[in-house]
Amino acid sequence: MNNNRNRTPSVSPAAVVVAAIFLLVSVVGINWFTSFVPAVLPPQASAESKSVDELFYVLVIIGGIVFFLIQGMLLISVIFFRAKSGDPSDGPAYHGNALLEIVWTIIPAGVVVFLAVLSFNVWMQNTEPKAMVNLIDGDEVKINVSGARYAWTHSYQTGRIDPDGEQIVINSGDRLHTYIGQHIELELRTQDVIHSYWVPAMRVKQDLLPGNPATGGRPTEIRFTPVRVEGETYPAAYPIVCAELCGDGHGRMTGEVVVYEDENQFLQAFYEPAIDAILNPPADPVLRGEIVIQQYICNSCHTLDSLGWTSRTGPSLNGIADRAGERVPGQSAEEYIVQSVWNTQAFVVPGYTEQMPAFGPDQTDANAMNAEQLYAITAFLCTQGEQSDCDSENQTTAIPAAIKTAFGLEVDITFGQGDGASTDSSEAPDED
Amino acid sequence: MATIAVPIGTQAEQREAEAVRRPALSEYLRWSVDHKIIGVQYGISSFLFFLVGGAMAMGIRLELLTPGLDLMVSGSAYNSLFTMHGTVMIFLFIIPMWAAFGNFVVPLQLGAKDMAFPWLNAFAFWLIPPAAIIILMGYFVTPAEAGWTAYPPLSTLFSGDGQTLWALGAHLLGISSIMGSINFIVTILNMRPEGMTLWRMPLLCWAVLATSIIAVMATPFLAGALTLLLLDRVAGTTFFDAAGGGDVLLWQNIFWFYSHPAVYIMVLPGMGVLSEVLSIHSRKPVFGYRMVGLSSMGIAFVGFTVWAHHMFTSLQPELRIPFMITTMIIAVPTGIKMFSWLGTIWGGKIRFTSAMLFALGFLSMFVIGGITGVMLAALPFDIHVHDTYFVVSHFHFVLFGGSVFAIYAALYHWFPKVTGRMMNERLGRIHFVFTYFGFLFTFFPMHIVGMLGMPRRVAVYDPAFTQWNQLIGIAAFVLGFSTFIVVYNVIHSYFRGPVAGANPWRALTLEWATTSPPPVTNFIDDPIPYEDPYGYGTEAATAYLDAVDETFRNGAPASSR
Repeated sequence: MNNNRNRTPSVSPAAVVVAAIFLLVSVVGINWFTSFVPAVLPPQASAESKSVDELFYVLVIIGGIVFFLIQGMLLISVIFFRAKSGDPSDGPAYHGNALLEIVWTIIPAGVVVFLAVLSFNVWMQNTEPKAMVNLIDGDEVKINVSGARYAWTHSYQTGRIDPDGEQIVINSGDRLHTYIGQHIELELRTQDVIHSYWVPAMRVKQDLLPGNPATGGRPTEIRFTPVRVEGETYPAAYPIVCAELCGDGHGRMTGEVVVYEDENQFLQAFYEPAIDAILNPPADPVLRGEIVIQQYICNSCHTLDSLGWTSRTGPSLNGIADRAGERVPGQSAEEYIVQSVWNTQAFVVPGYTEQMPAFGPDQTDANAMNAEQLYAITAFLCTQGEQSDCDSENQTTAIPAAIKTAFGLEVDITFGQGDGASTDSSEAPDED
Repeated sequence: MATIAVPIGTQAEQREAEAVRRPALSEYLRWSVDHKIIGVQYGISSFLFFLVGGAMAMGIRLELLTPGLDLMVSGSAYNSLFTMHGTVMIFLFIIPMWAAFGNFVVPLQLGAKDMAFPWLNAFAFWLIPPAAIIILMGYFVTPAEAGWTAYPPLSTLFSGDGQTLWALGAHLLGISSIMGSINFIVTILNMRPEGMTLWRMPLLCWAVLATSIIAVMATPFLAGALTLLLLDRVAGTTFFDAAGGGDVLLWQNIFWFYSHPAVYIMVLPGMGVLSEVLSIHSRKPVFGYRMVGLSSMGIAFVGFTVWAHHMFTSLQPELRIPFMITTMIIAVPTGIKMFSWLGTIWGGKIRFTSAMLFALGFLSMFVIGGITGVMLAALPFDIHVHDTYFVVSHFHFVLFGGSVFAIYAALYHWFPKVTGRMMNERLGRIHFVFTYFGFLFTFFPMHIVGMLGMPRRVAVYDPAFTQWNQLIGIAAFVLGFSTFIVVYNVIHSYFRGPVAGANPWRALTLEWATTSPPPVTNFIDDPIPYEDPYGYGTEAATAYLDAVDETFRNGAPASSR
């Protein structure tokens, strides 16, 4: 079956000219391709992003060469080797060329080895553990991220202690606050399905894997270091996206990385005010509730116009105080709201399914909520309506009474109101 | 002429009596053990599922025209839509569609009268309708909404009965696939005619052999994974439930151990088709025949070592590097094929038939899928684009730019053999132009939105990506529309197309050395294969082809329709 004696395909001068022109087009084309690289990638907001983009740049150049080589040979074949109309003859009986075949096996093999080595180096460089991570005010602060359908919660296990000797935990909801040059290391845990924590501007992504809650889940880690982006005004915000399908609200499971210019700005604009708000919460339970409710993931499912929430997975909270007293016969508005937050199974609004995670005092995860927080949230929700069913005159007694009835817990309504005020430590989230 | 083997004996009368009969349409609706009937049954049913899956894709693009929810009532409704799109396209369209061409063509290319196990062949096909009913039924209960990859715990603890039906249906399709593949392996290894060694076998047979070996080795893993999933769903086991000691990565590992090789199950037969079509329509031998055949086996083998690159964001970090290396290596045998095909058409006498156009389209689109495949193998870059539209784009370049273009090439190429009629070439060219550009403008921009930050599988996205998605949407509707052209062409040509004759493309492989359509027993006498299935350009080959033409000149008179 070999007919190598037959002539090899002859190359006409025209083909050489076309090949030369094509070579030129390719060089210009690849140049043109690479000039688009910054435009098709998000800003380079981390140290990692720079090396990943450099790798991509190399991939585009090599890919561009392969692309133009193959499309060029195709184009030349299509133009020069088309059968003349009415020509019934066959092409040359040319079966192959061992040398060529060796060449086009060895060269691609060499190229992929080169790319593998290059990728390996970038990978090792980007994943190298940093000496001091999450440095805030001289301390290494542990930052946990919790993914629940469909919201992110970031919590900072600060080194500070509240007057009761409890560690202060800042819950910053779907925002991660950091500053340029801080080596970030996050511990990721999911409360339900697999999620994937992706910050496009940082070029990092890591899945959150369900683990056994009894043994502390299955934490995964993600690391990056924010860097300055030319022309950016600080603090700058970059999106966090969930990249692994997690259900109905997957597309809106988003958040933000807020990058401050330096540690000073970070401390002044975020960290110290957050600690201050925990140590000295507003005396008015309604104002306190407005802060507390935004530390939880309620916005991932509920609509509430006054706070700009728009999600529709769960029932709307607009005007909740007008309806709360009529939902369940025999239950006051306060009792209904209190029960709905902590004992989510007890009553499901018709037309919705039971999807709400349980909030409560016994949890160690991001859904932990003590009785004082429940009191504040209830007080805030009681203001969401025109003719509230709540007993607004006797808020300070009606809501604690409802909590006592439903869960048998005493509420310290003087929580955070200055000297000597303290929480019942048995009810506080167990953080170590 | 004396030295030339005439493929068929001289019992002309018998040939005329048998050969010209086209099976009645009703025969396709019945149990039949004739591989040609079964091939068409596979083909028609798969194509119908292609239309179903395509309609779902149109729904997806319609929803994505705006960044909010509009067509769909909820994110869940959207999730179940793309879950069904992926499931239908993979399990009910591409994989069975290759069984269609494999069934019809492989026994003919081997000069055999049927497959090795005709009854098993029919049984494998008839598992598909009940499986399809079960899967589609699931869409109308509480539909599966965990994607075609069905990652637990979303697919176990957080979804409804549709997911159970999905797993049951996929299970049946896996059984069908295993039975079909065993049949192909036995047929190809045992039923070649005298004189056809493995190294003289048409490359489609090589590709189907490699595909079948993959399917027989990999599909049992899918079956295992689905069994565990079903047990978790209905029997209270906790294989994938961490709270009960299970592990969600167990599913990902077993699932991808099947599903990555499944990509080659979907693409390798297309590569076989390409070798046939490019050689025949450029009238030149396949360049480097042995390496093309061996690279199929190389891809099949290396394809088993790369699965965890689908888990680059969930796998333990230190395990990611080895899979990056194996994934890059697989580019080498794929590259050998690409260059060999270019060598095949280089210097040939290219006929721009519709089949050839789609084969050339495959070359120019699949190369993009190959390049992005290497990019995705590069671990640090993959971390950024994993689970984004970049990946959606990549696998559509492989499975549409690759598999579907090859399916169209195969359709235009073998339609004359199946029906005895030629397809309309002008419509074929129009179809190609719409498909090619519709495809390019649908899927190329997806690379960019993915890199910019749009994850896959979302109904609600950042409004910054709206214009990109509208461009993609419009191109997708053009692509969707182009399908109607080929549907019309098939129906029109079946009834009105010009009579094809035995060997309209003057091809040397054996399926063309019998009438179109072939008689029930395929060949009247035992056919004698030409010494080289792609030996174009020699006087001996021309004489052989002339002899075939002479033998069948009166084989299928136009008046007999």
